Amino acid sequence: MSIAKPIWPWWPGVAVWALCWAALATLDGTVDVANLTLLLVLASALASLWLPAWAALLAGVANVAAFNWTFVPPRHSWSVDLHQHVLLLLTLLGVNALVSALLLSQRRSAARAGQAAAREAALRSWGDLLRDATDPLVHLGRLQDLLSQVAAVPVALWLPEQLHAGTADADQLAGLALCMREGRALGHGSGWHEEQPDIYLPLRGRGATAGAALLAGLGSRRPEADLRAHLQALCDQMGQALQRAALSLAEQQSREAAREQGVRNALLAAIAHDYRTPLATIMGAASSLHDQADRMDLAQRQRLAAGIVDEAGRLARLTDNSLQLARLGAPGVALRCDWESAEEIVGALLARVRRREQGRRVHVRLEPDLPLLWCDALLVSQLLDNLVDNALKYSPPDSAVELLVRRVAGGVLLAVRDRGTGVAPAWRDRIFHVFQRGQDMPDLATANAGSGVGLAVCRAIVQAHGGTLSLRGRTRGGSSFECTLPLREAPEAVEAPETLEALEAPEPPQDSSH
Amino acid sequence: MSARILLVEDDRELRATLRAALEVEGYAVLPAASLADARAQWQHAPVQGRAVDLVLLDLGLPDGDGQDFLAQLRKQAGVPVVVISAREAEGQKIRLLDAGADDYLVKPFGVGELLARVRVALRHRGQAAAPAITHYSQGGLDVDLAAHRVRLHGQDLRLTPTEFKLLARLVRQAGQVVTHRQLLTDVWGADCTEQTHYLRLYMGQLRAKLEAVPAEPTRLLTEPGVGYRIVEPDEA
Repeated sequence: MSIAKPIWPWWPGVAVWALCWAALATLDGTVDVANLTLLLVLASALASLWLPAWAALLAGVANVAAFNWTFVPPRHSWSVDLHQHVLLLLTLLGVNALVSALLLSQRRSAARAGQAAAREAALRSWGDLLRDATDPLVHLGRLQDLLSQVAAVPVALWLPEQLHAGTADADQLAGLALCMREGRALGHGSGWHEEQPDIYLPLRGRGATAGAALLAGLGSRRPEADLRAHLQALCDQMGQALQRAALSLAEQQSREAAREQGVRNALLAAIAHDYRTPLATIMGAASSLHDQADRMDLAQRQRLAAGIVDEAGRLARLTDNSLQLARLGAPGVALRCDWESAEEIVGALLARVRRREQGRRVHVRLEPDLPLLWCDALLVSQLLDNLVDNALKYSPPDSAVELLVRRVAGGVLLAVRDRGTGVAPAWRDRIFHVFQRGQDMPDLATANAGSGVGLAVCRAIVQAHGGTLSLRGRTRGGSSFECTLPLREAPEAVEAPETLEALEAPEPPQDSSH
Repeated sequence: MSARILLVEDDRELRATLRAALEVEGYAVLPAASLADARAQWQHAPVQGRAVDLVLLDLGLPDGDGQDFLAQLRKQAGVPVVVISAREAEGQKIRLLDAGADDYLVKPFGVGELLARVRVALRHRGQAAAPAITHYSQGGLDVDLAAHRVRLHGQDLRLTPTEFKLLARLVRQAGQVVTHRQLLTDVWGADCTEQTHYLRLYMGQLRAKLEAVPAEPTRLLTEPGVGYRIVEPDEA
């Protein structure tokens, strides 16, 4: 095993023996042989500090034999005085064994302390890495590396319902799922399915298991308890990080849901409020016709009926706006974009506006030769409808409402301008997102009933087209709602093919030569 | 003799209102509340003596898609079909127009609008068999399809061949909406059905020649997202 390897070099051990022999040679003749043996004991003990246990023992035996040959009388013979020299030999061997054993245990505990410190540092830096990650899943690969480095076996990681790193066969997949479900380790040393060749460790958070790790073949190597504990600690840090991330996501989602609910409630309240006014007019006029028609003249009845028609039209616009707001608010809404002519959209709008009594106040200024717009014609029509409707509603009945379309840098400007009371500067931005703010319904939206939903739709439509919508005060009073839609390069148009005679088909044959 | 109208609308109140409005104008109304009901009425009408002259078809029916019924009608007869749709059924409405419906009304609509659509659709009734419209006259604009001549307030107008084809296509269905796809197919060819920008350009040119104020057209009307319509001709 790795811990048994000598930590120090062996050559000082050899040097000690060399010095010992030099001293023996020098002292030979002046000192008694019995005292020289003490040098041997000292050298043997010192050499054990550097030499591996077996080498120290071997060196001890060899040196005692050489000493016997060289210095013990009769010199240059192997004959040993049993009484004296066997004792010396045994003493030497005993000292060697003792020193070696002490050193070995000391080296082992030093190595263990170093390893424990290294593992602790590894755990700490792994923990720091996970703490800083918003999504711990990005570090799954790192966990796989760490585990396989420490355990020196292939590693696979399982998170609910599928393998996220590494490979595993069907049995191993079942083991991973079982380990995750039960939240306990499986395999050698776990007290559960001890006979398994692999070890399965759960990624445990507090009170829940986020996944499981497979250490393939580790069980057959009978790893020590502290190695298993270290591997489990690495896994648990990932488990805790995953649990933390899941909790914070859930918290964020519930905050988001609460905010959305707030916006939805505000929107529903605003829509209900906006519906009430036209409904009141319709109810009043219709019930009056129902109950009192016989006492009214024709003109009175027609006035009431006209009121019902007008207010029903207003309800229809409100409904379109509410539906559109819901549609544009949905994720991944698809616009039905096509090449559209601003002139045509404005023309169709005018046709609708002129039907209303107030419609004559609308004046149009279109720059000639405007480029085609890449947009959803119905949405842009609705946008202009709302802006013009708004302008007619909040400006004096005899003032002009101007609809202006012209080219500007990077797009086409569609502006609707009125001579109404205008909007206070503080409100000019907020007026478009009254529903983004949840509970606190602005006084303005309540006072100007009906403008809230319409303007919120305008903003949503412009945003869906990648444009901008802003409100500017005019120098001589009134507001200018300015929408800029981005331009795309429009394709060229071609003449109809001459060969296509589909239209000529029903005509009398004599005209086909024309 | 008054025309017979098959009114397919599932909402009871709206059905009653439309029926009353149509009957006041002298039409005979066969009301139906579902597709099955409409099919039964359609089958029985000729047995009872007279066939249906026009179908008003609501899209949101409880027992199926209006498109199936339209397909059945188109297979059997050239009866005019006017589609009644809600704003949400935009795509379906265009599909039905391309599949041969004559015109459409978006809920909520006024009775005036309804009667105008019905009147125009009835005028075009059976056009496939009868001689096609060859002359259109409205508010000083005279179009003679046979002679390829267009006059505005007595003055001859020079139109390019494409402009004339486009105008002619609209005139053939005067008063009714013609979808972008139909116009592109009939004027430029079946491979140009996506090239809506051709239409924008040539409609602009036509308006510049035919309209007093091109920005506020009174003859060539735009139905945003659907198509174009030339106004009904003057009563002869």
